[in-house]
Amino acid sequence: MRRHNGRRGAWLWVAAVAVYAFMYLPLAIVVAYSFNDSRLNAEWVGFTLHWYQVLLHDEDMLIAASNSLFIALLSSLVATLLGTMAGMAIHRYHFKLLDFMVLTPVAMPEILLGVSLLLFFIQVLNLTLGMLSIVLAHITFSIGFVAIVVRVALAALDERIFEAARDLGASPWQTFRYVTFPLILPGVIAGGLMAFTLSIDDFVITFFTAGVGVQTLPLRIYSMIKIAVTPEVNAISTLLMLMTLVIILLASRLAPNIFRGKF
Amino acid sequence: MRILLAVLLNLLIVAAHAEDVLHLYNWNNYISDETIARFELECTCSVKQDYYSDNEEMLAKLAAGASGYDLIVPTGNAMESLIRQNALRPLNKSLLPNLRNIDQAYLNTPFDPGNRYSVPYAYTLTLIGYNSEKIREIGLPVDSWAVIFESRYLEKIKGRVTVLDSQRELLASALKYLGYAANDVNETHWKAARDLIIRAKPYWAAFNASSYIKELTLGNIWLVHGYSNDIFQADLDAQKAGRKFRILSSIPREGAVLSLDSMVLHKSGPRPDLAHRFINFMLAGKNSAELTNLIGSGNPNLDALQYIRPEVVQNPAVFPSREQQAHLEMLRDLDRHQRRVLSRIWTEIKLR
Amino acid sequence: MDKPAARLTPASRLFKYVVSVPPFVFLLLLFVAPSIIMVFASFRYPGEFGGLAPLFSVDPRTLHGVTLETYRFFFSDYIYTEIFVKSIFMACATTLICLIIAYPLALLIARSPQKTRNLMVLLVILPFASNFLIRVYAWMIVLGPQSALNQFFNSVLHLFGIAPVHLLFSPFAVLVAMVYAHLPFMVLPLYTNLEKHDPSLLDAAQDLGASAWQRFWHVTLPLSLPGVFSGSVLVFIPVLGIFVIPEILGGTGDMLIGNLIKEQFLVTRDWPFGSTLSIMLTITVLLIAWIAARLGARRGRYAQA
Repeated sequence: MRRHNGRRGAWLWVAAVAVYAFMYLPLAIVVAYSFNDSRLNAEWVGFTLHWYQVLLHDEDMLIAASNSLFIALLSSLVATLLGTMAGMAIHRYHFKLLDFMVLTPVAMPEILLGVSLLLFFIQVLNLTLGMLSIVLAHITFSIGFVAIVVRVALAALDERIFEAARDLGASPWQTFRYVTFPLILPGVIAGGLMAFTLSIDDFVITFFTAGVGVQTLPLRIYSMIKIAVTPEVNAISTLLMLMTLVIILLASRLAPNIFRGKF
Repeated sequence: MRILLAVLLNLLIVAAHAEDVLHLYNWNNYISDETIARFELECTCSVKQDYYSDNEEMLAKLAAGASGYDLIVPTGNAMESLIRQNALRPLNKSLLPNLRNIDQAYLNTPFDPGNRYSVPYAYTLTLIGYNSEKIREIGLPVDSWAVIFESRYLEKIKGRVTVLDSQRELLASALKYLGYAANDVNETHWKAARDLIIRAKPYWAAFNASSYIKELTLGNIWLVHGYSNDIFQADLDAQKAGRKFRILSSIPREGAVLSLDSMVLHKSGPRPDLAHRFINFMLAGKNSAELTNLIGSGNPNLDALQYIRPEVVQNPAVFPSREQQAHLEMLRDLDRHQRRVLSRIWTEIKLR
Repeated sequence: MDKPAARLTPASRLFKYVVSVPPFVFLLLLFVAPSIIMVFASFRYPGEFGGLAPLFSVDPRTLHGVTLETYRFFFSDYIYTEIFVKSIFMACATTLICLIIAYPLALLIARSPQKTRNLMVLLVILPFASNFLIRVYAWMIVLGPQSALNQFFNSVLHLFGIAPVHLLFSPFAVLVAMVYAHLPFMVLPLYTNLEKHDPSLLDAAQDLGASAWQRFWHVTLPLSLPGVFSGSVLVFIPVLGIFVIPEILGGTGDMLIGNLIKEQFLVTRDWPFGSTLSIMLTITVLLIAWIAARLGARRGRYAQA
């Protein structure tokens, strides 16, 4: 088969490399300056781990980190559960309305979800904003992602397996437990990991539903950026990026189809 | 692992709710760590602090249901709003013998006649801060708001001026300059102030409420519309950094805004007893003086004067003379309709 | 394949409900209900101290009930419509630039061998996985007044005798960051589409004497239009609602709808007006989605399977 590369191929490569550089250089600079021995993110002075030490002694930051972890764990667990159910309901039973309800929080601008939840929590539930409100909010937007991943995993399965199971007399519950679930488990875990990452990273929705007294990492980073920028922000950013890198790599092994863009 | 420790810390803090904890909701940088430490020793309790950077943020968070704060330190107009919402607990004056230390001029404000709910904590003025050398070189009159609003002065310092990013504060300065009261709610006057601001905007570097201190110290910005304690801080920083200039402040003759911050008890606070102890503690001259020495905020406490550094006492930006006091105004709260109109005017100011 | 409903046993039906009901109820409560509340809130009066005024009140003096006041306020002054128009322009510009930047990359990925493809896609997704604020902060550094880029730029301007310029706190900074944050959303749908193109079509075109550019313009591009549309929608809609980027990287005049909405809820405490703005944003988003769906459906007929 002929390939039509030649000069055009070279141009494409140049363009692609330029785009990758555009995507990675700013982040590389953030990481680089986290080791910079200077308060200003301006020029390289010398290598130091000082900012990481500052980070480890920053009590507010540590509390925010532990809050973020707790919220992410809890919300991703529930979101994975509900999202897997939703994925099954949409794929197996063609529940179109649920499909719409699950995907819209993902597709809409985040500020709309944040603001409507704020209204709802205060006006209707009279709930004091805090941990609970944040966790509920995070579950709401994470369900969609998990459902998408699970749906893709289900679509990749051969339908005949389920017919075979049914013919052998398995109830729907048994089919799910012994056939479906083990097969989609990698996808479920990948979805859970994504939900975890989304929760750790979320800013906009948390911003509106957090109230006072509960800080999460993104909220803390935001107030640091607005009030007093120091390379401590670079340090926490680097650590966060490292964590999400590991998680995404894990997830990509478990649900390769999603990361090929097939959804 | 420190994160695990932090998680445990979190849980312990939750458990500590049952113990002696005072929940304080205060401005950023508005109390020294030594003062807190000393109080904790004295009352054998611990103080948990949350912070806000402006009144609006605090009111919005409280309106969104934040609760559990024993003590809040709102500015007058925010306090007015809280009182009218019935969100505050009346004070038990018998627990506050140190109340007599307060200068009469700061008691009995229109926000809280008879001080049923509040006790003055500190005050700041919104005035002009400037780089002593640059402004002297150029020769600008810093005793009037004209230096921020009039192009004949602004063109000499174009790009070197910042103003506060605060709807109320900026409008108040403009109103004062135009000869109106800072609390004027006449929409025509507001529109005139808006037009004045829009005309001056191209000369301003930015609307900035926090990092202007740093810029003053670095010498990038030469003139600001800012808070007296921030300008005090900038001057200290400039001296520490060995700069050749000082950062001075000036109260414009047309008048300025006085922000009186008071301590109040929120109804949702679980420990009013600890709160009263804290208030009485802060009413002692020595403790109150620590804040003034630290950040240069004005001090309504007469007993504190002996503990404050003399150069701070002499500073009219921190302790304005009686004559200057006559031109100072405290901002009142706006009603919902006025807030909406102000919001639109502010949008126009930002956009045009 | 569709299973006929008649084949559902009672156990099947139970399973179906067990699986469908919990997420449905959860989202009903935490997504549908809040959205409906928001619609209603836009018809209420603002509360005296913030929030919403009560619907019913025994005291006739307190403001209560429903009103069209906020909508009238929205349309009473051109300024709010202007902000919407500005936001739409920003979204258009972002989408266009994303498209131009993403297309070559997506094309390259689609033409690469399978193994490299996965790696390249992963490399596109990874930056996206990092925290949004971090990505915005990165541009604060890159465009800052003391940064190499800004100084280089100013020295070039200096050659032409133009006064130095601040790259940061400008519409330029906002645009760059918007593009940066949404690039993966354009790359992935484009790539997914381009990957499916039948290479024999291009072979045939080449055999018929078409140049490389003609092959692209007459074969590849039209076939890729559904991907272009999905990518554009995935970029356009989120950009409309963003407030963080203008707030951190923008100048004072760079207010978009998101900033306005945030201000109403967290500064002015005018919740009804904030809700009205949110409703207007929702309508705009739905309109865009509808237009994209119509355009996509028409073009979709020409796409290869």
